[in-house]
Amino acid sequence: MVCVCVCVCVCVSVCQVPVAEGKSVQQTVDMLHKKLEQLGAVKQGNFWVDCETYQATGNATGQPTKLLYVMHNSETPLSSMALFEGGPGLTADANFDVLMVKLKSHFQNAKGHKVESRGTRYRYCDFLVKIGTVAMSSSARGISVEVEYCACVIPGDCWNLMKEFMQSFLGSSTPELPAVFTSKAEGLYAPVDCMDTMSQYLELFGKVRKQQVLAGSGVR
Amino acid sequence: MSGGPAVRVSIESQCERQVQEVSLDGLETYVPPLSMSQNLAKLAQRIDFDQSSDSEQDGPERESREPWSKPEPEEDEGAVKFQPSLWPWDSVRNNLRGALTEMCVLHDVLSVLKEKKYMALDPVSQDPIQTPQVFQLISKKKSLATAAQLLLKGAEKLNKSLAENQEQRRQRDFNSELLRLRSQWKLRKVGDKILGDLSYRSAGSLFPHHGTFEVIKNTDLDLDKKVPDDYCPLSVQIPSDLEGSAYIKVSIQKQSPDIGDLGTVSLFRRQPKAKPGKTWHVKLEAAQNVLLCKEIFAQLSREAVQIKSQIPHIVVKNQIISQPFPGLQLSISLCHSTGEKRSQRASPEKSKPDDHLYVLEHNLHQLIREFHKQTLSSVVMPHPASAPFGHKRLRLAGPMAYDKAEISSLQQSEGLLEKIIKQAKHIFLRSRTARTIDTLASRIEDPQIQAHWSNINDVYESSVKVLITSQGYEQICKVLSFSVKRP
Repeated sequence: MVCVCVCVCVCVSVCQVPVAEGKSVQQTVDMLHKKLEQLGAVKQGNFWVDCETYQATGNATGQPTKLLYVMHNSETPLSSMALFEGGPGLTADANFDVLMVKLKSHFQNAKGHKVESRGTRYRYCDFLVKIGTVAMSSSARGISVEVEYCACVIPGDCWNLMKEFMQSFLGSSTPELPAVFTSKAEGLYAPVDCMDTMSQYLELFGKVRKQQVLAGSGVR
Repeated sequence: MSGGPAVRVSIESQCERQVQEVSLDGLETYVPPLSMSQNLAKLAQRIDFDQSSDSEQDGPERESREPWSKPEPEEDEGAVKFQPSLWPWDSVRNNLRGALTEMCVLHDVLSVLKEKKYMALDPVSQDPIQTPQVFQLISKKKSLATAAQLLLKGAEKLNKSLAENQEQRRQRDFNSELLRLRSQWKLRKVGDKILGDLSYRSAGSLFPHHGTFEVIKNTDLDLDKKVPDDYCPLSVQIPSDLEGSAYIKVSIQKQSPDIGDLGTVSLFRRQPKAKPGKTWHVKLEAAQNVLLCKEIFAQLSREAVQIKSQIPHIVVKNQIISQPFPGLQLSISLCHSTGEKRSQRASPEKSKPDDHLYVLEHNLHQLIREFHKQTLSSVVMPHPASAPFGHKRLRLAGPMAYDKAEISSLQQSEGLLEKIIKQAKHIFLRSRTARTIDTLASRIEDPQIQAHWSNINDVYESSVKVLITSQGYEQICKVLSFSVKRP
């Protein structure tokens, strides 16, 4: 059951959109929704992505404790993904969470560090856009935008198209090519994995967590 | 060959004479050759006087003569062996003398006979043996009587065993009946009662009916009276709600339903064979059929209520009505007759005798059986204790990160009702297509239209080959092949 497999996935780019000046998170999200609807996208339900942090215990040699992140995605409702930051990742059944409970002695759940992103799904022809509010311990910290191009699995072939599409509604906040794609051995021409999506989300959540120092001021 | 020098070949005649002795100085002394008279004597010795020249005709005579003549030549040879110095003509002389003696005797006898005074020739009288007829008759009678007795004994034995068998069959031992019942139905003993299971639960059904029947011993046999033909020492008691017989009536009507007519389809079209003394086999089968029909109807009505569709299905009492097409009404009803009330056979049903679509009823039975099989199929069972029920491939959904589209493609999405409505739609569309093509073909004279419907169809797809030809132009021919696909 616990095996790493290559699965056919779609090309996904996850980025963080900065909250507009003078507006709250919700308002920025609504703005984005309106832009998408003007573009002609159709709302297609909701989505959520969450991430739990587990700390590996038993490291007595003074090394920094390794953090294991267990993530879930509503697009793959029966799977759980477990990854180390920058390290190997694992796709497993939903029972993996129960397994983590059993491994309480080795991995402790850092409950305060759970981050999740919830929002709506929009579909525009071959593109799936998911705009979510990133929240940590029920306080909104930021906005995540996931753009998925369903027709292609190789980022090198469609990155330009995706960038153009994102520019049409994100404007200046369009991200650059995610590092996940460039860091692969075959470069841009390797087919993507759901792990790549999750790594991107992890990066984003990591950034959001670091931002928590400044989050006291409300709006960044 | 005239090649080399000539070779001298010397020829020696074979030594014809035997060597008598070889002297010390190498000189061989030959046995002097036999003179003419000696040679003749040797040859004469070899004559066998007992063997005549035409030996085939005298076969039996020769053989009869042989036993007492055989020792003769042996004696002669023995005599010759033991006394080689005897005159070689001795045996010849003896034989000739013996022959002469015999000839003289024969001559004397014949001459005496000729006189007919002291000897006469008379044939040997051969009286036929005349056994009395009475004796023959008696002996034949006796032998026949013995044979008849044997046969009668055998027949008696067979008759006895046959009678025993018949008697046994008529009485029909309870235990042997129970054995027969057990070979076809599941039985178990609870306390002092024997219960059986006629539900489809072991075949994969999830219907909550218990389907238990009880086996009862018939002890009301009156041994004094004659045993009735259909007597059975074993009888079964089926649950009261499964009595009688049932079937699912599926029909398509053109008009829209009249609300007042709903719920009145409880009429039985078929003649129920309600014999009071049905054997247990027939009873159990009928009860099982009723149970299956109830399950089918329960499943259909559940889906009709739960599944949201554009035109809602109406469920009234024992009838489900839905509209596959506007103006077309599909009604599925459960007709269950307990067999006692026969007076309710009202006539409106008789007006449309062919309304019932047997095909769809059969398909319903098939679908529910498929549904049963799915719960027991090898795709589902055996499964690991921690995995949920469902298709085997769903267990891979986690590690392979299947998205929602892939997951839904693995799961069953269509229920019984949807399937049967689709099949009904297909039947209707197919008949309408056929009618349209036929009308066109009869109306249009040029070009000619021919339709060949395929024999092999699916429940959701049929195919027809339409040939459009123009008379006189063999080259111009258009072939249309299309299928009525599921909507």
